[in-house]
Amino acid sequence: MTEVERTVSAPSPVGESVKRIDAFEKATGAAPFADDLQFGPNLLYGRVVRSPHPHARILSLDVSKAAALPGVRAVVTGDNCDARFGLYLRDRYIFCRDKVRFVGDPVVGVVAISETIAEQACRLVEVEYEVLDPVVDPVRALDPGAPLLHENLADYEVADFIDPKPGTNIANHFKVRKGNVASAWDECEVIVEREFRVPIIQHVPIEPHVAVAELDRSGRYTLWSSSQSPFAQRNLIAQALELSQSDIRVIAPYVGGGFGSKAGLSAEGTAVVMAMSVPGHPVKVRLTREEEFFCAFVRQGLVAKTRVGANAQGEILAMKTEYYWDAGAYTEYGVNIARAAGYSSTGPYRIPNVEADSYCVYTNHPVGGPMRGFGMPEIHWGIEQIMDIVAEELEMDKVEFRLKNVLHGGEQNVTGMVMHPIGLSECIEKAARAINWGVDEPPSSPYARRSKGIAVSWKAPAMPPNAGSSATVRMNEDATVTVAVGGQEIGQGTFTVMAQMVAGVLGIPVDWVQISTPVDTKYSPYEWQTVASRLTWSMGNAVVAAAQDARRQILELAAEHWNEDIEHLDLRDGQVISYRSEEVLPLQNLVVYGLPLPDDQGWRGGPILGQGSFMPGYVTSLDNETGQGTRAVVHYTTGCQAVDLEVDTRTGKVKIHRIASAFDVGKAINPEQVEAQMQGGVVQGASTALFEQLIRHNGVPQNASFTDYRIATSVDIPDEIIPIIVEVPQDDGPWGARGVGEHPMIPTAPAIANAVSAATGVRIFDLPISAEKIYLEMQKERSG
Amino acid sequence: MELPLPELPAFDYLHASSAQHALEQLGGSIARTRVLSGGTDLFVQMRAGSIAPTELIDLKHIPGLATIEFDENSGLTIGAAATMNAVARDPEVQANYPLLVRALETVASYQLRNRATIGGNLCNASPAADSAPSLLVLGSRLTLESVGGQRELALNDFFKGPGETALTPGEILTKISLPLAPTGWKGRYLKLGRNTSGDLAIVGVAVLGFPDPEPTSGFRFRIALASVAPTPIRVADAEELLETTTLSDESIEQAARIAQDLARPISDARASAEYRRAMVFELTAWALKDVRQMLEEEA
Ligand SMILES: Cc1cc2nc3c(=O)[nH]c(=O)nc-3n(C[C@H](O)[C@H](O)[C@H](O)COP(=O)(O)OP(=O)(O)OC[C@H]3O[C@@H](n4cnc5c(N)ncnc54)[C@H](O)[C@@H]3O)c2cc1C
Repeated sequence: MTEVERTVSAPSPVGESVKRIDAFEKATGAAPFADDLQFGPNLLYGRVVRSPHPHARILSLDVSKAAALPGVRAVVTGDNCDARFGLYLRDRYIFCRDKVRFVGDPVVGVVAISETIAEQACRLVEVEYEVLDPVVDPVRALDPGAPLLHENLADYEVADFIDPKPGTNIANHFKVRKGNVASAWDECEVIVEREFRVPIIQHVPIEPHVAVAELDRSGRYTLWSSSQSPFAQRNLIAQALELSQSDIRVIAPYVGGGFGSKAGLSAEGTAVVMAMSVPGHPVKVRLTREEEFFCAFVRQGLVAKTRVGANAQGEILAMKTEYYWDAGAYTEYGVNIARAAGYSSTGPYRIPNVEADSYCVYTNHPVGGPMRGFGMPEIHWGIEQIMDIVAEELEMDKVEFRLKNVLHGGEQNVTGMVMHPIGLSECIEKAARAINWGVDEPPSSPYARRSKGIAVSWKAPAMPPNAGSSATVRMNEDATVTVAVGGQEIGQGTFTVMAQMVAGVLGIPVDWVQISTPVDTKYSPYEWQTVASRLTWSMGNAVVAAAQDARRQILELAAEHWNEDIEHLDLRDGQVISYRSEEVLPLQNLVVYGLPLPDDQGWRGGPILGQGSFMPGYVTSLDNETGQGTRAVVHYTTGCQAVDLEVDTRTGKVKIHRIASAFDVGKAINPEQVEAQMQGGVVQGASTALFEQLIRHNGVPQNASFTDYRIATSVDIPDEIIPIIVEVPQDDGPWGARGVGEHPMIPTAPAIANAVSAATGVRIFDLPISAEKIYLEMQKERSG
Repeated sequence: MELPLPELPAFDYLHASSAQHALEQLGGSIARTRVLSGGTDLFVQMRAGSIAPTELIDLKHIPGLATIEFDENSGLTIGAAATMNAVARDPEVQANYPLLVRALETVASYQLRNRATIGGNLCNASPAADSAPSLLVLGSRLTLESVGGQRELALNDFFKGPGETALTPGEILTKISLPLAPTGWKGRYLKLGRNTSGDLAIVGVAVLGFPDPEPTSGFRFRIALASVAPTPIRVADAEELLETTTLSDESIEQAARIAQDLARPISDARASAEYRRAMVFELTAWALKDVRQMLEEEA
């Protein structure tokens, strides 16, 4: 037995900037993505005939010429699969049956021996349409005479917290009624009312959607897909095919960026239906870059009408908001985005009187899905600008105004939930200080005007109350650990963070931990979805529980072996140690083979297998009429961004000098990863702020390619991004952690808009803040 | 809305070993046969289905067609198949035609410029072609060849409309010739895209100025614009104004107004006509002021 040397103990890897465990694989190109998987000579390819019309009735279909093309193996239509599916509201078919509702809606699928032949055959399909008037504006969609997208809305199955209005285009209506807004206006010194618009944008992951589906001879389906939510996909496919979950297996290798677009079901569904007609043959469907822009998911557009009033002391007294979400043809996640927007409609402010109506509205646009922030970047675009205007009218400093009005732990928020402790004020102070708030700094040229802007934000994971996570921790002979989870590595570093947690609990180095990949619904434990910035917290809790289960088993074994009290034992540096007897046992072998009983009496222990699951039990429903309830969500992550920029008055171009990004993450399990999220969020936020929009003309996309859908490149991003980590622990987070994956892009666009306004006197109400808009608005100002 | 094909459609590929070889194969049908340089326009258009040639004749490997030659007496000759990066990193081009180097550096990305050629940029005849304004103000001439022989043409007479040039069926561009640049010249190419890198021009403005005792102002100027008319254009009236009046902020702004009035921009996904027109004014004035400053610093 060796002496215990406590001082050489490796520090816990939790809280350390451990290197990404997938870094080498990804940097060298070795990491397999869905399109890299090999399927041998049986592989076939699928292409899809898509609706050219935003809204039309299918009168007839003639696929005979397509089917007759040499190389074509099957042609499928809406007749092949006739059940509706949807995450919260079952409003779609995989292939259209009655109507088409957006340009890109799948009508026919062709399976062939090559992509080119499949595409040629697609172009031979004849579809006769009766073109219908499209709905292209979410406000006008509610006019009494507006065309209806879903005549049978009343028949659709729907989750109990979603409230569609049959006979209209409203897929969900969420209401907040708190205090008395009507009487509050009288007490206000300043009332500001504005309308804000957010365009439809797309996620533009570097890897477009790829799905390969196969129906095997036993009647079961396997789907290999670039997926953020293998278990949710399995569920949705089961709905659409009227099968049970266990008939479907989803295997999800690494994801080349998702940002929400690879949650839910889109291209994968078409692959599965095509596979149905060619048993034994895997069928591969890849979206082209152009299809990616409007055939999978987009971020919903938004029209926000907001009114805010404050008293002379600068306290916000009332807020009234209407949100009209441009949900597109089907809703998948959209109905829940509208709900999340409603229950977060005040932003992180203390406002006693609130009225909010959030409408998720069907339009003949691409399908709105989840995108990083799940409605929050969209609503904060308006919230954080109108707060700026209120501060201006009160002649108050904008930082001071926010510090005066933001929520603190213990105060009631918009839904009546008592806020857990949050570090938002600290975020505001630190972000402002980091960019020298209040100090005028010179622009880079006589033609430029420089100024600063600030915006705060909050976001809660938006999910069903009972979204769960689970994990297993298996010990190997060499004391390494294999951890199985169902959450997905989508570039956010979750596998690394999970490995850190396991290593932290088991007292082993991080590089002893391996994550089972790919995620496979047949072997991986259940995870609701990799969305909502929930993995560090939710899957983290499950992983910690699994690791603690394994730890307990090991300690019990050693306690019996040494005949000691378990209280005195610990796991450190890959060993079980006793602080009392100073006995030490390396974990190697004992975690699989157990330990011998004294006097050759046999063995005890055995392979160590820990398991854990987590589900928040405390989320309550909200009153239908008032949106009030005890606890609407699990928690809110809050933060603040402060921007220093200049505008070239000759062109309207914005040059961002620096953005400080401060978020209260509870506990940074891996600070470098948190900072990376803040940097990525700022880049994506700035890109959507300045450039991005999917332009449509009468429902038809006009810029579905990188030629005219511009995103920020490395030379467009801020010169300096200053990440600031604030840590006010979450009571039920692992080590106090809460999520931060989506948050850093939420306040970016309004912070930039506020800075542009401060620099030029021009305020842009509809995203993006393009150079053209700024320039032309400045011209208007100049000419009076 | 027709989407681009998932893959490039099939075509026959011909590796031309000489200009003569290429010309013989080319025949007269550009619907069926196209010449291929970098392919950075051609392949995009083939995938989009806007053209559907079944045969491509690759000019890249023709000996001599990618050479870049500088002669102290006659100027620069660029082979039509020289890539933009090859031109931009040529020491003689850098020393004598930095304006062209700057203009090429605004095209797409470094990776793309490893393939894209100036020849392709001109023959594709996009109104937004970034090499065109600089080549116009530098007084470039083109050599066109067909089975019947060779002819020369000023670049100014080459563009006929969007995608249309003076090339006749069966003819190819072999050389771009730039005369010696005027002594003491300074130039500026300003390109405005939506984002900083990789975008097509909303407006491109090239200005070249040089001292000349003869005109009133003591300088001569040449101004050319991209992306604001059916073809890249010169702005002769503005050039003249700047020569016949004393150079001042007012005369520069007047010249920029002339450019703005001459522009006939369209509205598209990239920008509105209104913004483009305004940008012609702003960028022309900006480029002229920069060039004036450089000229004054030199004097
Ligand atoms: C991502 C991307 C970004 C781009 N960005 C820019 C940009 O910023 N600015 C810009 O100006 N352009 C841009 N382009 C367009 C393109 O790269 C340029 O026009 C390029 O110079 C074309 O040259 P090429 O050698 O690739 O031409 P190719 O594609 O090979 O040919 C273009 C056309 O010219 C014809 N042709 C080629 N050579 C000859 C010849 N010698 N004689 C007769 N006909 C000929 C071909 O048949 C074809 O019709 C971009 C393209 C892409 C894909």
